[in-house]
Parts: sequence; structure tokens; C-alpha cells
Amino acid sequence: MVSRFRSIAAAIVPILVLTACSPTASPSASSPPASTGTASTPPSAPAASASQVAAASPGTKFKGVNVNILTFNGPQVAEPLQRRAPDWEQLTGGHVNVVAVGFQTIYDKALLDASTGTNSFDAYVFDPQWMGDFTGPGYLLDLTDRVKNDPQLDWNDISAFHRDFNATYNGKVYTIPLDGDFHMVYYRTDLLAKDGLKPPATWDDYLAIAQKYNGQDLNGDGQPDYGSCIAKKKGAQSYWWIISIAAGLLQAKGTNDGAFFDTSNMNPLFGPNEAMTKALETYAKTAEFGPPDELNQDVGGSRGLFTTGRCALTMDWGDIGTLAPGTFAQDKTGATITPGWKQVLDRATGKLVACDATTCPNAVDGVNYAPFASFGGWSGAINAKSPKANQDAAYDFLSYMSSPAISAVDVTLGRTGFNPYRTSQFTNKQPWLDAGLSQAATDNYLGAIKSTLENKNMVLDLRIPLTKRYEQDVLDTAVSQYLAKELDAAGTEQAIADGWNAITDEAGKDKQLAAYVASLGVQR
Amino acid sequence: MRNPFGRRSVTDLSPPAKLGAFVVLLFWAFVVLFPIYWLLVTSFKTPYQVDKGPFYVPFVDFQPTLDAWRYILVELGNDTLRPYLNTVIVGLSSSVIALLMGAAAAYALVRFTYRPRVGAIGLAIGSVAFAFIATALGAPFFLAAGSGVAIFAILAQAIGRRFTRAMGNSDIAFWLISQRILPPIAVAVPLYVLYQQIGLLDNIVALIVTYVAANLPIVVWLMRDYFASLPRELEESAAVDGASVYRIVRSIVLPISAPGLVATFLIVLVFAWNEFLIALVLTSANAQTMPLQVAAQNATRGPQWWAMSVLILIMITPVVAMAVALERFITRGILVGALKG
Amino acid sequence: MASSDSSIDAAPQEPVPSGSALRVRAARQATGTLGAWRSDGAARWLFIWPAVLLILVLSIFPLVASVALSLSRLAFHQGGVDLKLIGFANYQQLLFGLERSHFLGVLRTPNLIGWAIVIATAALTAAAWIRSARSGRVRPMGLILRLIGGLLLLGSVWILVQALASDGGRPGALIVTLIFVFAGILFQYTLGLGLAMLLVQQIPWRRFFRIVFLVPLTITPVGVGYMFLMMTDTSKGPLEPIWVALGLRNFTWVTDPWLARLAVIIGDTWQWTPFVFIVLLAALESLDQEVREAALVDGAGRWQAFRHITLPAILPVTTTIVLIRLIEGFKIIDMPNILLGGGPGTATQSMTLQAYIDWNTLNLGRSAAIAYLLLILVSVVATVYVGFVRRRVTELA
Repeated sequence: MVSRFRSIAAAIVPILVLTACSPTASPSASSPPASTGTASTPPSAPAASASQVAAASPGTKFKGVNVNILTFNGPQVAEPLQRRAPDWEQLTGGHVNVVAVGFQTIYDKALLDASTGTNSFDAYVFDPQWMGDFTGPGYLLDLTDRVKNDPQLDWNDISAFHRDFNATYNGKVYTIPLDGDFHMVYYRTDLLAKDGLKPPATWDDYLAIAQKYNGQDLNGDGQPDYGSCIAKKKGAQSYWWIISIAAGLLQAKGTNDGAFFDTSNMNPLFGPNEAMTKALETYAKTAEFGPPDELNQDVGGSRGLFTTGRCALTMDWGDIGTLAPGTFAQDKTGATITPGWKQVLDRATGKLVACDATTCPNAVDGVNYAPFASFGGWSGAINAKSPKANQDAAYDFLSYMSSPAISAVDVTLGRTGFNPYRTSQFTNKQPWLDAGLSQAATDNYLGAIKSTLENKNMVLDLRIPLTKRYEQDVLDTAVSQYLAKELDAAGTEQAIADGWNAITDEAGKDKQLAAYVASLGVQR
Repeated sequence: MRNPFGRRSVTDLSPPAKLGAFVVLLFWAFVVLFPIYWLLVTSFKTPYQVDKGPFYVPFVDFQPTLDAWRYILVELGNDTLRPYLNTVIVGLSSSVIALLMGAAAAYALVRFTYRPRVGAIGLAIGSVAFAFIATALGAPFFLAAGSGVAIFAILAQAIGRRFTRAMGNSDIAFWLISQRILPPIAVAVPLYVLYQQIGLLDNIVALIVTYVAANLPIVVWLMRDYFASLPRELEESAAVDGASVYRIVRSIVLPISAPGLVATFLIVLVFAWNEFLIALVLTSANAQTMPLQVAAQNATRGPQWWAMSVLILIMITPVVAMAVALERFITRGILVGALKG
Repeated sequence: MASSDSSIDAAPQEPVPSGSALRVRAARQATGTLGAWRSDGAARWLFIWPAVLLILVLSIFPLVASVALSLSRLAFHQGGVDLKLIGFANYQQLLFGLERSHFLGVLRTPNLIGWAIVIATAALTAAAWIRSARSGRVRPMGLILRLIGGLLLLGSVWILVQALASDGGRPGALIVTLIFVFAGILFQYTLGLGLAMLLVQQIPWRRFFRIVFLVPLTITPVGVGYMFLMMTDTSKGPLEPIWVALGLRNFTWVTDPWLARLAVIIGDTWQWTPFVFIVLLAALESLDQEVREAALVDGAGRWQAFRHITLPAILPVTTTIVLIRLIEGFKIIDMPNILLGGGPGTATQSMTLQAYIDWNTLNLGRSAAIAYLLLILVSVVATVYVGFVRRRVTELA
């Protein structure tokens, strides 16, 4: 929804004029400073959402209730929350304050707030991966009964994976999904069609396609381009890619199998074994077909390369699908489920074995796919220590945000950062066409999402206590050392295993094992 | 017309050397200004244009757009205005207060003699530490034990190093500047807990107080150099004439040292204006400052260069304006203080 | 003194107890400070205590609490979050255990150059110590302290050599930080002094330059980091055409550890040179030009005039500014974090950055431990520096 202006010669004048005539930035509440949040003006809201709200007179269900929601600066995630808050207020009378902080700091702020008893937030829009740290001490409200009996939410419309795994911990529901995050591989449909190639099914296919197109001019500007663009910057979000690559080798028996640890003895699967070596080598090989500074590139950079037509392949969350319109890659972007492998790890021996009916029960055409729900998908969770009225109001707002009608629109807008997670969102194609995707692109994109979400072998992100340390501290450091050739494969695997074991021992091996098993379980 | 590079005095460089100097300065000015120019240009680009590659001149290389400016100033409106006001208020007030307190302390350190006894220090530290223990924070056991050990360690260290003489002014000064050694990251969470107990979380007063304490050492060290070089005769003759020390400071020292005060003020203002980590930890909704907004432009899917450029540009404008206005003081200011530090 | 006695009698409206007047007089005689102020006693404490008290109050608790943090570990459990005391385990992990390769580095046997450096340092230190012992001017306590100091120096050089001048060694956060600090100060001081020297001349546009050179200081460090990230992007940054023209299209600096460190140092220098510059400029502007003019007229060369007249005159302010930059420089975090995330691998990971990563993943104990090791290191460096410098400066004065 980015509108374009034609600017006049002097840059200063338009700015002055614009700031002078800014639409009345009138916050709806002038409450005392302690509880005032950021009630900002909604930007040009799409017509669709306005028509959803049919309320003639403001509701009173939550009149006088002030809900403080912690999330991060937008526009992703914060924007739809802020845009919809006035509508919800119209319906129920409750007021929402969206408190936005930097994205990297949400975890610290939420935990600091909860653990010190400050409790200044009623709800968090949250990475469900952090549930391990929050549910243990009892910071989150149990929502199981509410969600099962909520017609507005339509719980069963949410994909099974999100319902049963992402939102659930130890058999109880703690979050309301607002977004579905998982990796997919995107490819240039025009290039593959021209050469009669199919989208990569295995990572070997991926490397082959990348090698083929590397060095060719893919967007007609005369410069050689790249076969594969996967961001690898340290301390950004790159450590998830290695998980996506390794997942197909590590998990074959379904989500309960887990991809991080052996569920019987908490042995790190990301350790000295053939699967890890293969994954690391593959990951490093993709760098050979990418831009020279790929080691320092973050997701924005690789995404930019793909949308400007400089990459044949890339791996990303769902954003590229909705960002392609208006760029070079429009109508040239295809999405497919993350490639898998034709081998899998035998956990007992640490060696790779071929895929067959016993070793890979979920294989399709002999390929074991294990799409990785990296990060989980932004979800709303409620502070267990808030007053009841606030909890009810917060729940209602989150349920409203996630309701089929509202979320159907938001997931089509690239700006919101929300990607599909409901069955209805990939069966009803109209909102996508409205957002500017062609029919073919919509079919392709939604098809890839559907096959991912319905895959029984989807990999759940690590959700035990101290998850950030496992991933951000140990895994990220070790893998970037591997890419920088500070460590070889064996050294890297050992570093990850040692680091993870140290954290496990610190937190108590039995406790972590129990938590790990609990995070993977499902009770319907 | 006079040759701008001509020789003005015997100590001046020769004209060719002067020209060379001018070229060098021009080069460094370019090095300084080009990134700022790049920020300006980026603020007028769309995301797609930023990704496509370097475009240098609006209207020639690319079509500029006001989207980023509109987003920051209009759409975010209040979300930009509030942190901006907070930054201005916190920056200005903490700098002024730090300046007053620090200059007073610097003057005292230069004109008076202190001989803090180790016992007196231990007592001061002990009593302050005891005050905290007495308010019984979350885990009193470890705090009490920790404080006890730390107090002992500090005392032991103090005694061990200096049992032949008492401490003096320069030790106080060194203690002050050593407060800046510990990285803010270490004290962030303890400060959070401290302010939470007082109820000052997400409040600009907490920020002001913290910044004053953090920047006091800088003020003291810079002003110390300066005061030490002021001619004593003026003050002494005034004292002989019967003026009290307060009168002397007010009517003699301050006016002469106004340039130095202004220079130090500017430096400390910059430090408080741009501080990030403590603001990050101590604020959430109401007391956010601009550096947080800049960092927050590093969104989930990568830095939003266009919006970030706008934020940086509007952030530096008041400070640069102040620097322009006060520049003549800066030079004449620190100068006198630097004579015999 | 007679004058002070008469001033006490002459203005009874501000009476001062005689005891304090005597103390004032004694103090003044002993140290030469100002004398004979009526309310001197109160002013002594009024001026200094607010600052001292504020810093005392605000520093004691965080200091003690973070020491306690560094000795403990955060544990999540049913009902809340706990801090468990674990003694020195965090420190042990950093210096000897799992994190040693990140913190100190990978230490291997030195190569030839390394051995040469170690032996040379040992020889020089031993010679200096023997000389001071034989001079008879140093007390036994002083000798012991110097011996300890020498051993510490030798130990540090040994570690440095094992990391930097060896086969397969790799510097960790501590050594990387040292590189950043010393290289940074070197460049910043040289540049700052050079620019200040130039701007002291009667050159056109002086005022413009002085204002412009201040601008980098006004930008928030996080902002400078992102700005440099943009600038150094060799695929879509402004330097891309130059990079390509040099034939470096397929080469990048982000994969080479030393080039990465250089990038950080360049960014750091760009940002902090103005600080050094403006202070030195002021110092230079205040100098009395007569001595220098006389020297030049007498035929001294410019370099000689600089070395023997200008440089000693600005020595005091130099020592202050270097001390401040030293202390601030050890805390470097934003530039390496934003430019490279501490990468490639761990090549640009400074100590504060490592502490920050730990802090961000809620490993508060280890984060505090790193901060304390930093505190100890910088305190030692600062003390040595101040002691060394003070002696030199008083020798010169």
C-alpha cells in the first residue's frame, strides 16, 4: 500500500507543507502518562477492512479497559495491530495501546517485565518459540478452554500444525496465531520454464540449479548474476537456514520426532554426525553461487537481490510472495516447499542411510521433506498476572485480529509481515488477486504454502527454556565460524554439541529433556 | 584581491603549503560530508530503488519520493514526536544539570584540598550499601553477601595500595573517571531493578538522573583542565576584598569560563542525546528516545534504510544547529583550559 | 596572614568560626590553594558532595549487583526466575573453559617472529628491572611491584603472541578489543592532531571546516553503524563503482578477518576523530605564538619547532584526551555489531559485543563476568597510563 508522489524541485517545501497539513494526529486517549501507549493514527486503511466493521454504535463490553500490548516497531506486525485497534474499540469499547519496541529486544523486555513483577503489559505479540522460557515460570495465561469455544476465532480453521504444535505447550494452548512463519524456496519461473527444469526437490537439485545459473545475466542489465541468494550474516537471522537444510536429514518420522535433540537422551542432533557434515557442506556450497559479500548479507539484502532479478533461487519466509508485485520479479516468482533429502540420519549410528518406507515414512517420491516452521509465526499471548478484565479484553482483541475475515486481508499485504496460517487463507484466492498477484502466481504461492502446512513432517522450532542460547549464542556463532573457515566441519559440529550440552547441563538435563518432549507432544 | 593563500605572518605556511593544506582539509570535509549526503539521498528512495544499486543524484539517477519522510513524520506522527521531545528534554536537562554539578566539583577539586581518609570512604560506601540492603530487594541473601564481599574488597584494595599516604584530589578524580570504564551492559539490569523499586520505570526522570551520573566524570575532567589554568590572582584579590567564594564563582569564574562551560556542555549534550542502551532498558512506551527509534528501523526483515535515514537526519539537525551557534565558544573555550592541565 | 585576619573582622555579616579559619589558613599554607574565604568551609563540601554522592549512590548498587550477577546464573523454574550463586564458574568458562577460544582466542605455539618478540620483551623487561634495582633509588616494595608488573607484561605478550604470531592461532574478543583500541587511538590522535595543526593556519573557510568536522560526533553511534553498513556495501553502496573499477567486483572485504577489522577501525576513526580534533584545535589556538615565532625567525625548522615547542605545550591536554578515548574505546560495540555482527566468524567480536550477545540471550551471569574482566583490564591499563604519564609530565614541567 505504498503510494507514490512526484516531488517538486525544492525538497524542503513539500516536507514543510506536508508536516503542516498532517492529518490530525489525535490520539484517542489522553490518559495519564503511566498508562498511555502509542495510539497512533491509522494510515490509509484498505477499503476491505473498513467494510468489515459494520458497527453503528460503539460496543460497551470492555468499556474503560486499557489493554497494553507489547510488540515491535513496524511496519510489520505493529501496523495491523495499530490499524485495527480503533475498529475493535468501536466494537467493544476497550482501548488498545500498542507498545512497540525494537524487534531484537522484545524477548528481553517481556521477560524482564514479567520476571521482575512489573507487569506493565497485558499481552505480548510474541514468538511462540519463547514459550519454553515463559510457561515454565507461569507467565502466560492458559487459553485452552477459551480458544476451543470461541466462534469469532474459528480455531479449527487454523492449520493443524499451528493449532497443535505452535500454539500448544505441554498439552495446553497459550497463544493465538496471527501469522505463519516457515521457510520456502523461491525460484525464477521464467528461467526454469525456459530450460524445462522442475523446482528443486532435494538440496542436491538446488545446488545443481544454482550452479547452472550462476554467472549468467538473469535480469538483462548486462551484469553477471547469482544462482542462489541466502543471507548469511552473523547476528542477524541467518542461523535458521542451516536448520532448514539439515532438517530433512534429521527428522523423518513426523513432528514428534524432533530435529534438534534425540528424544530419548537429549543428545544434540546438531553434532558430530554425517547429516550435520552434509548440511554444513551444502550450506557453504550455496555461498559459492551467491554474491561475494553473502557472508555479511541480511535477509533484506538477499530479498532485494531476488526482487531485482539478480538471483535464480533463494530461501525465505513467506514475504517474497507478497513483495514481488511491482518489482522485476513480478510474475516470475515461484515458490516451492523447502527441498528435502533422499537420505536420513540413523540416530543410533550417526550415519546417513537411504530413504525407504521405514526410515522415511513421510517421504514423497522418495524425498524426505521437513519444512521448518522457523520462528513459528507471530502470535499473541496473554499475561497471566494481569487483572481479569484486561485478560478478557486482550483475548478478545487477539481473537478479533486472528478471526478469518480480518486475517484474510492482512496476510495478503506484504507490509503487515503476516503470512498465511489458516486453511481458509489458501483456499480463498480472491484477497490475493486483489493484492496484485496474478492468478498463476497466487496458485503457485498458495500451493506451496498448502503443501508445507499440510506436511506431517513439519519441523517445530526449538521451544525449550534457554532456546535463544542454543540457537543465537551457540549455533549462530559456530556456523558463522564454519563459513569464515575458522573451524572445519568436525570442529563446528563439536562446538555446537559441546555448547548445547553445556547449556543443557546448566539447566538440568532431565528438565530440559522433559521440556523438549513436552514441546513436541500433542494432545487433541 | 588579496591572495587567500598568501603568507600572513612569519609562522604561517608558505602559499603552496597552504594550498596543500586547504586541499587536504577539503578532502576530509568530503569524507565527513559524503555519508551525510548519502543519508539524505537514501531518505528519498523507495525500498526497490535502494536494493537496485547506488543512485547518487535525485532527478538525474532516480526519481525521488517523499514516502519515507511521510512515513516518519506523518504516519508515525506521534510515535516520532514523542521520542523526539523526550530526547530534547532529557538531553538538555541532563546536560545542564551535569554541567552545573560537574563544574562545581571540578572547581572544588582544583581550588580546595581534600584528603579523604580511607576510613571515611569505607564508611560512606558501607552506609550507602547498607541502605540498599535495608530496602530488601528481590534476593537479599546474595545481595547482602555480595555487598559484604565487595565492600571488603574495595577497602582492602584501597588500603593495600596506599597505606603510606592518604588519598588526594587526583585520586578522587581518577575514581570519577573510572566510573566510565564498566560497559553499560553490565549495569543495565541492576539499574532496571533499582528504578523498578522506586517506581521510575519508563519515566524520563530516570533517564535524566542516570545520564547526569554517567556524564559527570567527563564534565569534571574537562573542566578541571580549564579551571586549573585560570589566573588565580583575580580570585585571590577578590577574596582579599572580602567576597565570599560564592560571589567569586558567580561573578568572576563563571563569566571567564563561560566558553569552556559551553564547550563541555556541547560534548555532554551529544553523549546524552545519542545514548542507546540504558534508554533501551529503562523505557518502554512513554519515555522512549530517538536512538531507540533509529535502531528499531532494523525490522524483522532487514534494516529499513530509507526510514532510518530520515530519523538520523532529523536527530542531528538540532545538535548541528547548536554546534553552529556555539562553535566560536568551543574554540576559545577548551583552549584556555588546556594550557597547563 | 594579616590580611585574612582583618577581613574576618571587617565584615561581621558573614561570621565564620575561628577554628575553620585556622584550618583554612593551614590548608592554604600547606598546599597553596586560595585562602581567606569566609564561607570556605561550607563551600568545600557543597561543591563536591552533590557530584560525589550522586555517583556513589548510582554506582554502588549496580556495581555490587553486577558482581553478584557475575557470580551467579539465571535459572527458570516453576514460579519464577532465580539467581543461583555458582562462584567463579562464569570466569572459569571464559578464561579456561568452553568460551576460552571466543574470549582469549585460540592459542598455539608461536612461530619464529613470535618467539623473537617474546624473547625481546623478556630481555628488555629484565634489563629495566635490573637497572632500577641497581640504581638504589627504588624501595623494596617498589621493586616487588615492578617485578609483578614485568611478569604481567610478559604474560600478556605471551598470550598475544600465541594468538597473533603463531601457527593456527586466532585472537579472541580480548585481543580484538585491544587491537581496536590501540589502532583506533593511533589513527584518531594522528588525524585529529594533523587536522588541528592545519586548521590553525590562516586558511580560507576555517570556520566552515571547524563546524563540518564536528558533525560525525553528533550522530548516535547506532546510526553511524548503519550508515557505515550502507557505505561499505560493495554491491549497492555508493562505493560500488569504485570497487568495480578496481576490478574487485568478485572480491569482498567481509570474508577476510583483517579487512573486516580494518573496516571497523575506519568507521570508529571517522566517528571519534572530531572529538580529539576539537580539543586539540582549541589547545593549539591558545598557544602563545611568540616563542615559536622567535624560534622560526632564528632559523629553526618547522619540524623542530613542532617537536620542541608545540608538542610539549599540548602534552597535558593530549594525555587527558587519550585517557578518555582509551576508556571509551574499550567499550566499542556498535560498529562491529552493526557492520558485521562480530563476524566473519568471531574476527571483530569485541568484549562488550560478546557480553551483549550473552545479555541478549539472557546469560546475564556470563555477560557480567565479561564486563568485570573488562573492568579489571581497563583499570590496570588506565592506572599504568596515568602513573606513567604523570611522571613524564611532572618531569617535563
